[in-house]
Amino acid sequence: MKYRLPILVAFASGGLMILAFFGRGSAVDLVSNEALRGQTIVAGLALLLGVFSIVQVHSRRIATRHPDWLYSLILLLCLAAMAGFGVFAGIEAGSVYDWLFQNLQAPMMATMFSMLAFFIASAAYRAFRARTVPSAILLATAVIVMLGRIPMGQYIYDALPSWANWIMMVPSVAVQRGIIIGAALGAASMSLRILVGIERTYLGRG
Amino acid sequence: MGLWERLQRVDRRVLYTLIFLSVIIPVLFPLSLPTPVTPETESFYAAIEAIPDGSRILFPFDCWPSTLAETEPMAVAALRHCFRKNLRVVALSNVGMGGPSVIERVLGQVAGEFGKQYGTDYVNLGYKANYQAVLLGMGSKIEDIYPTDYRGTRLSEIPLMREVPNYDSLKLTVIISDNAMVDYWVSLVNARFGMPMVAAVTAVMAPKQLSYVQAHQLQGLLGGMKGAAEYERLLDARDRATRGMDSQSLIHLLIIGFIVIGNIGHFAARRARAAGRAGVAA
Repeated sequence: MKYRLPILVAFASGGLMILAFFGRGSAVDLVSNEALRGQTIVAGLALLLGVFSIVQVHSRRIATRHPDWLYSLILLLCLAAMAGFGVFAGIEAGSVYDWLFQNLQAPMMATMFSMLAFFIASAAYRAFRARTVPSAILLATAVIVMLGRIPMGQYIYDALPSWANWIMMVPSVAVQRGIIIGAALGAASMSLRILVGIERTYLGRG
Repeated sequence: MGLWERLQRVDRRVLYTLIFLSVIIPVLFPLSLPTPVTPETESFYAAIEAIPDGSRILFPFDCWPSTLAETEPMAVAALRHCFRKNLRVVALSNVGMGGPSVIERVLGQVAGEFGKQYGTDYVNLGYKANYQAVLLGMGSKIEDIYPTDYRGTRLSEIPLMREVPNYDSLKLTVIISDNAMVDYWVSLVNARFGMPMVAAVTAVMAPKQLSYVQAHQLQGLLGGMKGAAEYERLLDARDRATRGMDSQSLIHLLIIGFIVIGNIGHFAARRARAAGRAGVAA
């Protein structure tokens, strides 16, 4: 019973969604919509669980004076500040929460991401060597695409943009499509395994 | 250390300084280079252009704040096109951290340029957890998933939302995304509900999304800063993306230049070592 009931629930829920996909507007569709509403509520509670988990982990770090306890303290203070302002003073435009987000968090995240440009440039210079034929092909392709995708490309050689476009639209898309179809088939087979109860890792160790 | 070894070991601080200058100089002194327009950008433009004026569209802004440099110019350009055609925009976000706040700001800014009113011309539904349930649930009844908008107003009290019970009332979905959400919009909403879609994604995502364009699951695609610059050109409203492309041009040239220098150094050093070994053997 310990395993049968969850497997039965998974089978019924999955089956309901599959039937609803093909029966729009039917009674099954209405039932599935109720299930979806329930799912969003459960997902909201899962987010709350995440907050409890992060508070627990970092509180322990502070209590045990972990080498990085100060960062944990800053994290918890920021969490409390954002959550507090959000819950008690609102999140709409012009609120303290929104000001903190727009003027602190968003620029910090954008800065972290922008630093990638420096690291990528440095890594490309140090590691991008045409040591073998495949790496030489990769290098030539990268150069054509990088030059063809910028306005200066057509000034260097007017056929570069069309070359870059061909690389993007033909060999690249062919590979991408293969990956997408492969991943979709993998996801479908994994879903089927869960539905029929072969895949049970989500039940834990029991 | 010889010249060839030195060419392979340029101090990274020199490299970082040159990158910094490549970004800053075009910002201060714009080059205003014309960006050739790709077919997928033209299709994106045509898809919005083909909708009758005054229609309702869905505008998911599924982006993290970290990619705003790329995604915001695309969102601004797309919204300008929509409001220019008097399309009415229903925005939402499947990214909890920042998506709703950013689209609230961007919508407010662009709507202000066109004198559009919240509630009648545009709405921000905000964020709801569990994107798969959200995407599927809105196909039956949006109000079941979003009882209130981002500002806490009940959907039944918002004039625009009274006309939009589900996807059937929307002509197009304009997805702005920096993550795998596009795949879910295509596989869940386009496949099941037949909703026409276009997408604006970061440059690294564009190669994957092009396969959806070729399969006509997406009607058009903007790929990163370049896509936004092309779109600004089509709209004849040059802005941040066009300026940003100048910086991107210089950085691309700089990186290619350094790769070439590194390879010249590598092969020359290898040849010098081989010549040295041959001399010793002789």
